[in-house]
Amino acid sequence: MTRAQTDIDAEMAEAVDWLVRLQGETVTERDWLDFDAWLTASPAHAQAYDAVLTFDDRLDLDRRLAQAEPTAEPLRASAGKVVPLRPARRVWIWSAGAAIAAAFVAGAVLLPASGLLGAHETTYVTGVGERRTVALEDGSRIEMNAASRMTVRFERHARRVHLGDAQAFFDVARDSSRPFLVSAGDTQVRVVGTQFDVRHRDGQVAVNVQRGLVEVRPNLPRDAAPFRLRPGQALSHRKGQRADARVSTVAVEEVGGWRQGRLIYRDQPLSQIAGDMNRLFPRPVKLADADAANLRLSGVLIVDDQDAMVDRLSHLLPVRTTTTDDAILIRAR
Amino acid sequence: MIRLYGEKRANLVRVFAAKLRSACEAEDLIQDLYLKVQALGDVEVEGDGSALLFRMAHNLMLDRLRSQSRASARDEGWRSLQGEALGDQQVADMPSAEEVVAGRQRLNAMMTAVDALPPQVARAFKLHKLEGLSHADTAVAMGVSRSSVEKHVSAALKALMAKLP
Repeated sequence: MTRAQTDIDAEMAEAVDWLVRLQGETVTERDWLDFDAWLTASPAHAQAYDAVLTFDDRLDLDRRLAQAEPTAEPLRASAGKVVPLRPARRVWIWSAGAAIAAAFVAGAVLLPASGLLGAHETTYVTGVGERRTVALEDGSRIEMNAASRMTVRFERHARRVHLGDAQAFFDVARDSSRPFLVSAGDTQVRVVGTQFDVRHRDGQVAVNVQRGLVEVRPNLPRDAAPFRLRPGQALSHRKGQRADARVSTVAVEEVGGWRQGRLIYRDQPLSQIAGDMNRLFPRPVKLADADAANLRLSGVLIVDDQDAMVDRLSHLLPVRTTTTDDAILIRAR
Repeated sequence: MIRLYGEKRANLVRVFAAKLRSACEAEDLIQDLYLKVQALGDVEVEGDGSALLFRMAHNLMLDRLRSQSRASARDEGWRSLQGEALGDQQVADMPSAEEVVAGRQRLNAMMTAVDALPPQVARAFKLHKLEGLSHADTAVAMGVSRSSVEKHVSAALKALMAKLP
């Protein structure tokens, strides 16, 4: 055993000891206090610890990547194993936050358009702070988020929904003779019967699947095979781009979290969060500078009162907020 | 308390991240803690309140770990999803093929380094870090005390950090 093998500096060594201790099962309040004191003693300690944490994280990730290496088992056989974490129950519970948001609902504007060739087309619009559940004649339900616009058109061989700038959660009734088609910008989504969320905001399209199988064509060439998403998968795509679509995993129970008054973010910029809030409340949230706009948040924002939400944001991110009667200004600290 | 939370937030996340092994989960948890702290309002606390804050954080973390059957279910789901992603060209790379290859190479390099460690150290490291056994279970499997396990795992990590890029 050569000395060189354990040749890391003393801070690193201490940091490793801390990490291992904290990963044990007998961590006590005393440990928390001691650890905090150690971190506070020197900025170098925190740095060393973060480096160790990163190293340990990557190790864990590599391990999982290696395990993910498929043993070429037949696809269809494994398909059944992809179970939602909790059975995908139908949740129509309205949390307190949602109830407040619902209080804003003044009823969506219905604009029945002239029926073309017998197919009837209806446009639904929700305003700022409004939300609406649309029950369609085939038994499907669409929950529209605030400040959204969509057109529904039923044809003999297809059920079509066009999403403008919108976010909506779809619970599609099964009807294999009439596929359900959603278009959002240059992206097409095709399903038979399933539950999923489509967000089309500011040229960005995101599809999140809670149940069933969803086919998505994010600006794909005609002959390309579509992406097939299963529960717990999400696809994001920027309008106009080609071959930029990325598939990621999401927790099934987080899909459509906005319906329960929870805005769930995974490393999203503050600009998006401000945009989401501006669809919920009439008083605009403004970002003072690019620094603020580019701050990123991972976590859950519960929708209740606007001031309370802004206050929580200011604790989650290094920002300072100024509230006036007609706007809330957020700047980076 | 809110002010103290602000001061301690970064350190609390560090503890959460160690145990939960997920930056996202740690961020989630710190927000839950914020809500709890906020709900306390202006309470009188002994000392500077750190003890109370840490106790709250600790309990919250235990709750989260208890529901980690959920998390391991997620792990399982993640794995099977990935199998599909890799087996089916139509579904895009979740980690790309290159990432998987790079990950495997790093893992191989690590395994080589692990095998060069003293046998007990290597065994403890493999059981805890790779097989995912707890310190206690590792101790039972090896017939040593829990604190020996911690020492071995520490020694292994230090050696690996020195050796690997």
